[in-house]
Amino acid sequence: MSIGRDGITGLILFAVSLFLLVKSFQLPSLPIVPVGPGFYPAIVLSLLAAASALLVLQDLLKRCAPACAGDAPRRSYRLVVIAFAIVGAYVVLLPLVGFRVATVLFVGALQAALGRPQTARQWGVLAAIALGTAMVSYFVFERYLLVLLPRGAWTGF
Amino acid sequence: MLDLLWNGLINIAQWKYLLPLFAGTFIGVIGGSLPGVTITMTVIVVLPFTYGLDPLAGLAAMTGVYVGGSTGGLIACCLLGIPGSPSSIATTFDGFPMARNGEPGRAIWLGVWASVWGGLLGALFLVFLTGPLAAIALEFGPWEYFSLFVLAMAMVAGLSESSLLKGLISTAIGLLITVVGHDPIGSVPRFTFGSAFIGGGFPFLPVLIGIFAFAQIMTDLEKLNSPRGQAAESLVGVKLERFSHLKVNLEIFKQPFLLAWATIVGLIIGILPAIGGSASSVMAYDQAKKFSKTPDRFGKGHPEGIIASEASNNANVSGSLMTIMAFGIPGDAVTAVMLGAMTIHGIQSGPLFISQNPDIAYGIYAAYILAHPCMLLICLALMPLMLRVTSVPMAVLAPVVLVLCVVGAYALNNTMQSVYVLLLFGVVGYVLVKLGFPLAPLILGLILGDQIEINLVRAIMTDANPWLFLTRPISGLLLLAAATSVGLAIWQHWRHQKRIAEEAPDF
Repeated sequence: MSIGRDGITGLILFAVSLFLLVKSFQLPSLPIVPVGPGFYPAIVLSLLAAASALLVLQDLLKRCAPACAGDAPRRSYRLVVIAFAIVGAYVVLLPLVGFRVATVLFVGALQAALGRPQTARQWGVLAAIALGTAMVSYFVFERYLLVLLPRGAWTGF
Repeated sequence: MLDLLWNGLINIAQWKYLLPLFAGTFIGVIGGSLPGVTITMTVIVVLPFTYGLDPLAGLAAMTGVYVGGSTGGLIACCLLGIPGSPSSIATTFDGFPMARNGEPGRAIWLGVWASVWGGLLGALFLVFLTGPLAAIALEFGPWEYFSLFVLAMAMVAGLSESSLLKGLISTAIGLLITVVGHDPIGSVPRFTFGSAFIGGGFPFLPVLIGIFAFAQIMTDLEKLNSPRGQAAESLVGVKLERFSHLKVNLEIFKQPFLLAWATIVGLIIGILPAIGGSASSVMAYDQAKKFSKTPDRFGKGHPEGIIASEASNNANVSGSLMTIMAFGIPGDAVTAVMLGAMTIHGIQSGPLFISQNPDIAYGIYAAYILAHPCMLLICLALMPLMLRVTSVPMAVLAPVVLVLCVVGAYALNNTMQSVYVLLLFGVVGYVLVKLGFPLAPLILGLILGDQIEINLVRAIMTDANPWLFLTRPISGLLLLAAATSVGLAIWQHWRHQKRIAEEAPDF
């Protein structure tokens, strides 16, 4: 009997829900309310703990037929990791260099990562989309819709 | 009522509302026609543009996106053989074969016109039934509301594609997110661990945008290097044959029962919380096949399949709008975003919404009705553009959509905290999808969490007897329906497993 991905997920969720359940019992009660602030979270966490435990059990009892493996389409997780890293860098850069600079860098970098340009023309298109996205969104939001966008601590704009 | 509707139509016909409605419908049609871009993602992209607008203008734009997106999806169905949006999935079954048989124009326009008529028939129900539904909801006490929300979550968890258990866990995670921060009754901080970042709880919209948009985009990026569905057979760039709009309409109206039944199926699925357009189009398609005199022609380019699917998915929009306006429960993820937009503008949806905000309520009805002719005009004028738009690469779309997601989150409070929440829940959403957890129950839990807690505590504060949840007739019936829904889901799962076991060969 071996534990699978669902079982591990269930175990993690079970541990987290038990930890938070204990924390919910430690919340102070209020004299004017018959049930304290931990009452409802305790119900939710009990449901989560019970469902997680059942998920572990289900995973342990499951007999996976060979068909389970299936003919899944080829997937590239490398691109997903790169995309998340670029989004993370964008979020870090936003308050430092401001919306306009960060957006040009972000759109350009992500486009290049998802489909690397081969010719000078393709690089030109990439740069135009990056600049265009930053400029159009800046003008539409800041000038037309009066929605303030992040300013850069380093650049001052 | 008709006076109010007339005023609503006149109101929406002003440029300040008509322009956002038209723009929203256009963006919806384009977003819907792009494979991999769902209506939810399109409405998320449009959301930040609505912050600076008048509430009705913003809601009109979103209604336009919803209607346009529900129709736009059929273009990719007919030309690529893959649905532009999940709600038009059943259109692929007959739209693509009909297009391959040399009638792409007939396939697309049958779908567009069926969408228009299905949507407008749905509008009748929206206008005349939302008020009575809200009146019923007004009779509800905290017990009934609590039970109604439990029913909504039980249905969504039970209808999860993966498993009931994962649906329930997803619901509980959604509810858990809402308990972080100060409790709604006594403002006691819960699970904040002294952190200022989560001290105020997680803002709803950045969580929603993060979970939905990131999960969708990142899942699409995984497949970026693999061939796109049936692209080898795709008809991108094809010129539409000459055909008559009159004939297409006659073809639809020759089967009034099909049109009416598909509309009703779509409407009912729309009213039931968070089941969504894909279920409505598939169910209407299935019903059309069962009632058809020529069921063997389905899947080979049969017009009845296209009519049923498209009429149903547009009527589904009116059902979802009914639920949000009468009960304050989002019918699906798109109306969840609309609910968030309403909250930003200080509008409380629910049974009192129509009586307290008649201008906005009838404005939404009018926007929904006018979105259909707008969508038709856009399709008539810009069909050549839409035929090409299906080939826009994901490498261009993804960065632009992500920028708009970040703007949408930031512009909520003009703080980076919302952007951090967006990124955090983007990762959470993607991980949950990869682990096979459905996102719809999580979102419903997230939306209803506060209301469930408030109504539960209110009910206990009014009368501590817990049996009232079962003994009050409406509340008891709703809880019984919730239990039945879970029971049915377990039974269906068990039957499915049994069938698989029976069909599996003995080794």
